[in-house]
Amino acid sequence: MARPSHPQAMTPHRPAPTRTAPPTVPDDFYTKPRMLTYLLFDATGIVYLLVGFVALRVARALDSGPEAWADLMSDFAQPLYVGFHLLALVSVLFVGVRFFRLFPKAQPARLGPAKPPPRPVLHAMLYVVWIVVTIALLVVLGGVWP
Amino acid sequence: MSDAGELQKKTFVVTRFDPDVDEVPKTQTYEVPCRPDWKVLDALNFIKDEIDPTLSHRWSCRMAVCGSCGMNVNGEPKLTCKTALSDYGDVVEVAPLSNFPVIRDLVIEMDGFMEKFRDVKPWIIRAKEKAAEEGTYRQSPEELSAYKQYSMCINCMLCYAACPVVASEPHFLGPAAIALGHRYNMDSRDEGAPERNRVFRGEGSVFYCSYANECSEVCPKNVDPAAAINQAKLNAVVDWATSFVVRRKR
Repeated sequence: MARPSHPQAMTPHRPAPTRTAPPTVPDDFYTKPRMLTYLLFDATGIVYLLVGFVALRVARALDSGPEAWADLMSDFAQPLYVGFHLLALVSVLFVGVRFFRLFPKAQPARLGPAKPPPRPVLHAMLYVVWIVVTIALLVVLGGVWP
Repeated sequence: MSDAGELQKKTFVVTRFDPDVDEVPKTQTYEVPCRPDWKVLDALNFIKDEIDPTLSHRWSCRMAVCGSCGMNVNGEPKLTCKTALSDYGDVVEVAPLSNFPVIRDLVIEMDGFMEKFRDVKPWIIRAKEKAAEEGTYRQSPEELSAYKQYSMCINCMLCYAACPVVASEPHFLGPAAIALGHRYNMDSRDEGAPERNRVFRGEGSVFYCSYANECSEVCPKNVDPAAAINQAKLNAVVDWATSFVVRRKR
């Protein structure tokens, strides 16, 4: 069965000479696996918003001194925060994989005289950059360097 | 048609709508003896010819070229002449394409689509036409390859039926129209990109697209409208930015 689409979807400016049935979409339009993946992709924005609030809290703790920092670290060891950070990690991986799959074909055929590399190469380059940046961050945050 | 293969009975749940009688569309069930090599369109034609001549549906070429026979098959937009019945179980639901007003049964109102098509000026625009004696416009294979993919669209409208933005934003130009506009913007013979880019930034903006990629998933000709839309976004922005620097003739 069907559910209503936007009542004006694909409706011509001049009405049809006969009465028409309003536009619909299938009942499962928004719950099919592909559409769910897309909706989940968009929903990760909520996770990033929350990560932003956590980052603000980290900055505030840094500004407030060692005691506040210790409190924050103790909070981060709580299951709620650990769960949230895991959710954030999964969200980043999920968005990265989908974004890297779709990004190459959105590139223009040429930029001035330059042509972008073939899509598979661009796809691979994105993963290489991602891995290199992740390793660099781990090295810096782990205190290995500098 | 050959008699090879056993007939298999399938149940077709078909959406019906008679504007003179029905307030809203309803479904009607048909039992159809199907041959193994049949497409969905063959079964619809069997219903029309042998069971119920009042059923209305569009079709023409039977070889995925004309783009007339697009319908929702089990909720997914499909060209019915290209969709094998063997891919489905004993019950097959056939409905008109999503997101379009319905004129009758499986026939949708296409005028809204044609208006969006006209909006993107899908023809070659030249500031000054060459005189006939100057010869034809030459184009290299590389220049052709820049847009050829997007010229394969058969206007079947499956992409509009699959698009979640079309379902919620009636002004959106939509996948096929933008892909066609982008096709002409990429054509080395064309000089109308600034005009089309103004349309792309206007009321039916390309920026409504949230890159669900559904249009490309359902496209029966692998045109990849999602790629065209997202390339058109960048081109529209670059064109807007350069318009402050370069003065163009209108």
